[in-house]
Amino acid sequence: MKVTFKIWRQENAKSKGNFQSYEVDGLTEDMSFLEALDHLNEILVGQNQKTIAYEYDCREGICGQCGVFINGRAHGPHDHMTTCQLHMRSFKEGETIMVEPWRATAFPIIKDLVVDRSAFDAIIEQGAYISAKTGTAPEANAILVGKEVADKAMDAAACIGCGACVATCKNSSASLFTSAKINHLNSLPQGEQEASKRVLEMTRQMELEGFGSCTFTGACEVECPEGISIINIAEMNARRAKAKWIG
Amino acid sequence: MLHSKIPEGSLEKKWRNYQLKSQLINPANKKKLNVIVVGSGLAGAGAASTLAELGYDVKCFCYQDSARRAHSVAAQGGINAAKNYQHDGDSVWRMFYDTLKGGDFRSREANVYRLAELSAPLIDHYVQQGVPFAREYGGVLVNRSFGGVQVQRTFYARGQTGQQLLLAAYSQLYKMKRAKKVEMFPRHEMLDLVVINGKAKGIIVRDLVTGQLKRFAADAVVLATGGYSRVFRLSTLAIGCNGSAIWKAHRRGAYFAAPSFTQIHPTALPQTSEAQSKLTLMSESLRNDGRIWVPKNKGDDRKANNIPEEERDYYLERRYPSFGNLAPRDIASRAAKERIDEGYGVGRLKNAVYLDFKHAIERFGIEIIKDRYGNLFKMYKKITGVDAYKEPMQISPAAHFSMGGLWVDYELMTTIPGLYAIGECNFSDHGANRLGANSLLQASIDGYFVLPNTINNYLADALREDHPSTEHPEFEKAEHEVSEHINTLLSVKGNKTVDHFHRELGKVMWQECAMSRNKKGLIKAVSKIKEIKDAFWAEVNVTGGHQEMNTELEKALRLADFIELGLLMCTDALEREESCGAHFREEYQTAEGEALRNDEKCSYVSAWEYQQGKFKLHKETLEFENVKPTVRSYK
Amino acid sequence: MYFKKSIIALTGLFLCVFLIVHLSANSILVLPEDVARDMYNSYSTTLRESPLIKIVAYVLYLSIILHAIYALLITINNRKAKSKGYTMNRFKENSSWTSQNMGLLGITILIFIVVHLANFWARIKLGMGEGVDLDSKGHVDVYEVTYSLFQNGYYVIFYSLLMIPLGLHLHHGLKSAFMTLGFYHKKGLKILAKVSLVYAAIMTVGFGIIPIIVFFK
Repeated sequence: MKVTFKIWRQENAKSKGNFQSYEVDGLTEDMSFLEALDHLNEILVGQNQKTIAYEYDCREGICGQCGVFINGRAHGPHDHMTTCQLHMRSFKEGETIMVEPWRATAFPIIKDLVVDRSAFDAIIEQGAYISAKTGTAPEANAILVGKEVADKAMDAAACIGCGACVATCKNSSASLFTSAKINHLNSLPQGEQEASKRVLEMTRQMELEGFGSCTFTGACEVECPEGISIINIAEMNARRAKAKWIG
Repeated sequence: MLHSKIPEGSLEKKWRNYQLKSQLINPANKKKLNVIVVGSGLAGAGAASTLAELGYDVKCFCYQDSARRAHSVAAQGGINAAKNYQHDGDSVWRMFYDTLKGGDFRSREANVYRLAELSAPLIDHYVQQGVPFAREYGGVLVNRSFGGVQVQRTFYARGQTGQQLLLAAYSQLYKMKRAKKVEMFPRHEMLDLVVINGKAKGIIVRDLVTGQLKRFAADAVVLATGGYSRVFRLSTLAIGCNGSAIWKAHRRGAYFAAPSFTQIHPTALPQTSEAQSKLTLMSESLRNDGRIWVPKNKGDDRKANNIPEEERDYYLERRYPSFGNLAPRDIASRAAKERIDEGYGVGRLKNAVYLDFKHAIERFGIEIIKDRYGNLFKMYKKITGVDAYKEPMQISPAAHFSMGGLWVDYELMTTIPGLYAIGECNFSDHGANRLGANSLLQASIDGYFVLPNTINNYLADALREDHPSTEHPEFEKAEHEVSEHINTLLSVKGNKTVDHFHRELGKVMWQECAMSRNKKGLIKAVSKIKEIKDAFWAEVNVTGGHQEMNTELEKALRLADFIELGLLMCTDALEREESCGAHFREEYQTAEGEALRNDEKCSYVSAWEYQQGKFKLHKETLEFENVKPTVRSYK
Repeated sequence: MYFKKSIIALTGLFLCVFLIVHLSANSILVLPEDVARDMYNSYSTTLRESPLIKIVAYVLYLSIILHAIYALLITINNRKAKSKGYTMNRFKENSSWTSQNMGLLGITILIFIVVHLANFWARIKLGMGEGVDLDSKGHVDVYEVTYSLFQNGYYVIFYSLLMIPLGLHLHHGLKSAFMTLGFYHKKGLKILAKVSLVYAAIMTVGFGIIPIIVFFK
């Protein structure tokens, strides 16, 4: 299989980047998209050129480290999928594949396709936890959580933090990411004590990090590898209003 | 020579006795003590956050862009705990025994007992931290069964248990970062350990964004760097997982225990091409309801659904009637390999077996199966394009967990004072084979409960010493060596890629040092790996510089260590003249092809000392005072 | 930002309610001329003279202004958050064109409102341009203003055509406003999606068809 990659190359955060074309032969349909890029990098090494920097780690769709814009879509042409789960069978022979890094002011480019997503960590830091020290826990079954509540919390907690929601959002809003975490913790009895503080501080940090606001296009839900629903954002808004006006 | 520091008293009282006797540090003094934690998975993040809560000053490093990526995230199935919520006869003792037996009696009784003992409070801890474990309608926790065990003691959060536990640990870590008790260094990779006067006093790291080498000093160094099965190249591990930190520690004097004990997981997706970088794991929990089979006729090319029931060989159920599809991992993997090697394999490359849910779907209905494994089926479809509700999955064994690792005593300290190894990177609790859902457990227990209770015993003395300084000549020397190492690699400028050599190494390791091993093959492997090492240093081409983000250089540095580690693994496998757990030596088997353990000669933990490129063996004899090692039978 | 978003949502919802009242009044225009003129003129006189309606009118002006200004501020902030876009973006595969272009639709509607106000409000209330006669009952003959305007085909096209962006804007805006204000009931949102569609359709067709009917009267 042969395709042409048009890939964004950028030396470092400060330099100006541009697209470069690479015609790559010898691919197979069973290869993952990242394996195709690995293959390209091996070719580049053979030509004594610098390899393309892109991110990945687990390559099974759970760590959230991979993620690039492929042919105009976050994580490629399929809904609810990570870049590492994308396979070359999704492309046509001879196709030109555009590969761009996540674009968001809050995710500055480090090199080529690698961006800095530490803004997500900064949001988490502002309250995505339960302030209980190790060793202070009561017996596990002393805290009852109904199946529906647990399932709903799990739906939200499934977020892998890849940043596709921000990348695809025309406003680079981090609302889906933030709301998923808030709803996971605030809907559980363990999270109740700090619920108001959590929603106010995390959303404030979200704005401070330079993410835009949500206009409910719904693109994030479609690109989210875990299919996290935008209803979470509405729920976050409700929690936020309640925390602000009622306490 | 090797002092395991097992406390006095009966098995049940050892941990309590230890805690009673260990030294305490007054809170005002704790903040004067610095601890470095390398790795941010369950062990690393658990230790870093708990140490910070206790008042220590903590620095935590990880090579990923965020602590949340650590590979604990990928564990799917669950975490074991002796809660006996299912009222099915479980207890700490039974869990201890299952784990010891699962490890084929090649681990320390005291360590394993502590693991089982602390498992119940660990579940309490995670529930309190907001982990959305599966629940019954009434609100209580649910359990499921897992391989190698006949009780239901596994707690889970869909097929994403590791992720949920890791996110809890990561959140707790960032809580302590906010409290300014933890400083985080993501995108930093440890490249060397600094030992001053025989004690671990710091590390040299490379900033993966700028390429800058940095020095960090501390009163104690904790390694929580995970497993090294990427030595096989194709494994279930994340691409970045590596053995470099522990290998550097090993070269600086830490003994490496049982390096050849690596687990081959029975239910991964089969390799489909040479370019493949990774074998995706499908949770072992699938074996709860899925049945494993191959066709009874060699080379049966019919589609799975067209092969009638009487022509299917459910070989696990046939060979191990009492455990059936839930036989432990080593046994299930070896049985699959046996069938595949005999020519019964299925799939395009004939390297897989079927995992079939037809009967489970008929029995429980598709909705229940969806509820239990929905996300795994979805994942399977994403990767293979096949709907496993309609036709069986194809699975194949893949390199997975490293039971081996740095030798540690009961306190989880290595042979270098002040250097600790926790989680998968040590050799402590799993013996020669790890039971499913015990890895999240061990990593968490080490990080949250054990280390924070043992490190004080060392740090209480460290308090009386001078604080290490990064200006010390040993730091100077270590940084210089790292820098030289990098420059040498960059200056080879050969004509082969790093991946080329990794594939070569992987092939040798998979062929000779995986599911079954023999003397001839291992001797051959040792010489082949030496050839690979020479070729690597003569022909590798690493493009780009070192003062920039350079993923090629990162890979090369890791591979250089993997090659040396591979050598030690084969050496260890060669030395152990018995079959036990994951270590199956073809020379030592029963007439029926089952492993033949040798308790007379081999009831020890191998601990290797690095001596200028050579390895010297030390043995820690295993004493079994409470259980009698038996032949491990799952028939 | 969230405060501003909430204001946009609240003012938007208020405008949605206003449109219902507006459309019901407009529907008088489709009646036979003798009935329509009388009803329409007396209705508009009642409105002008009611003090309550005066307050509502000010709220209305304020809503339009706040809605537009805050939308502008939010948009500026959102642009800052995405300082560089993609060379290739297939957003139509993951979201509707409307939802991606609320700003553009909003500007179009704003232009419409300016023209609309110049045609009616400026002439009737501010007395700008050509004077307006009284009808037989002594009411200001707003009907005549409307009727004569829509004898001009260009205005008919302008008024009818611009109801399409209005409808699109309403369709996304109504749902979105509820979610911004924290309505997250799952089934409720499904119903809301249908209600938004029906509401937007009625507004577009309703407002859009009246000028055409008047033109052919």
